[in-house]
Amino acid sequence: MTGPSLATGAEHQAARLLRWYPASWRARYGEEFAELLLADLAEQPRNWRRSADVAAHGLLARIAVTGLTARAQPPAVQTATLGCALAAFGTLGVAMLAQLATGWQWVSPGSPSVAGATVLMTLAAGCIAITGLAAVVPVLGLILLAARRRNGRVVRPAGLAMACGVALVAGARQFQNSWPGTGGTGADHSLVPGGVAAFGWSSTLSVSSFWVHPALLVRFPVTELAWMAGSPVIGIALIIAAAAAVRRLALAGGVVRYLSRLACAACLAAGAFLAGATIWVVGQGSGDAGLFRPGLVDGAELLVMALALAVAVRLTASLSREPAT
Amino acid sequence: MNVRVPIHRLAIYDDVVPESGAGQSPPDGAPLVTFGKYAGPATLILSSLADGAKHGYALTKDIEQFASVRLAPGTLYEALSRLESQGFIEALPSTDRRRPYQLTAAGAEALRTHLADQRRVADVGLRRLSRSWGPA
Repeated sequence: MTGPSLATGAEHQAARLLRWYPASWRARYGEEFAELLLADLAEQPRNWRRSADVAAHGLLARIAVTGLTARAQPPAVQTATLGCALAAFGTLGVAMLAQLATGWQWVSPGSPSVAGATVLMTLAAGCIAITGLAAVVPVLGLILLAARRRNGRVVRPAGLAMACGVALVAGARQFQNSWPGTGGTGADHSLVPGGVAAFGWSSTLSVSSFWVHPALLVRFPVTELAWMAGSPVIGIALIIAAAAAVRRLALAGGVVRYLSRLACAACLAAGAFLAGATIWVVGQGSGDAGLFRPGLVDGAELLVMALALAVAVRLTASLSREPAT
Repeated sequence: MNVRVPIHRLAIYDDVVPESGAGQSPPDGAPLVTFGKYAGPATLILSSLADGAKHGYALTKDIEQFASVRLAPGTLYEALSRLESQGFIEALPSTDRRRPYQLTAAGAEALRTHLADQRRVADVGLRRLSRSWGPA
């Protein structure tokens, strides 16, 4: 094989094009595909259509390895992506519900539609949390089993996910009572206990429209700004590491069936949550001022949550069709 | 169980495709029409491999020669990987960095069925053209 110093321009170009594809694809087809590219480059040195074609199919292959396309992927891969979709939905849902629950600690919503929407969202969030906990149990068991077998490929990302989780909880608890309007009100007449609402609020502080109001943002303490900027990084690292660990697990047919049923229940609850959130956002708080008035960021959250739910539903359906082997 | 050919969605077939017999799906893998927009490239690749194993570039040149279509590398390999996962083609050991592919029995059957379906479409179209617009 030609060494890097002897590599021609065409070889560099072929290597560059090959990088559009995921590592697993490159491991299987990389060498022969590079040969085809070299032959094609020799015949047509400049061809933007070829570059666009390779880039598009490389990205498709990257999406395919997450289980989001019609191409069959192992159940563990689909489960990991399903978990990511529901985690994204959950994060934005917590940000939304924390706002309403915190507001309700100060004053009850003035309109029945907002009150009803908040009740629906709270019940749905509870269902999602229960299904999430029920799903974590067998997955944790498999990770512990992998740890006993000294399977570093599973244990390393699982350890990172756990560290990120601890950092997220510790940080959120640190900040939950220092934000104006959360915690310590003593008026605990909301649907959600004050401490839980404040924790939800502080753990999702980064989901905020303050980012587009820098003049207001600079008035916050530096530590809180650091938390707003750092917490999403920790959260994303947690989700990616957990997904990497799950992707590397050997899920038995029974576990896949169990997880797909839980995912089905979670999707139904998420649908109910989305319905409540839509009532609230579309109704613009139905006359409620201040605490219950949705902002542009809530509309954007709604769209992303709908997209995440669509992905979750598609993967749940795909997982449910997995043969019982 | 008798299965209508996959292209039964076209109303044009209602009067020409029998309910049983020739229009059966291949026993292994999915019919080529389930390849969606890759059905065309898949048909070209299987047709090219029908007379022997070829590697990627040889496939490109052969298809260009007999169909006047040049498959871009990304499209070619997307179709190749789909055909391989369906069991319609299989990779042979590579002698150099190029890997040849050959048709499997399931692939030959799928190609035969698909081309027969296409021929029926062509026959119906040509017959109706001839009836309404006169012979070519």
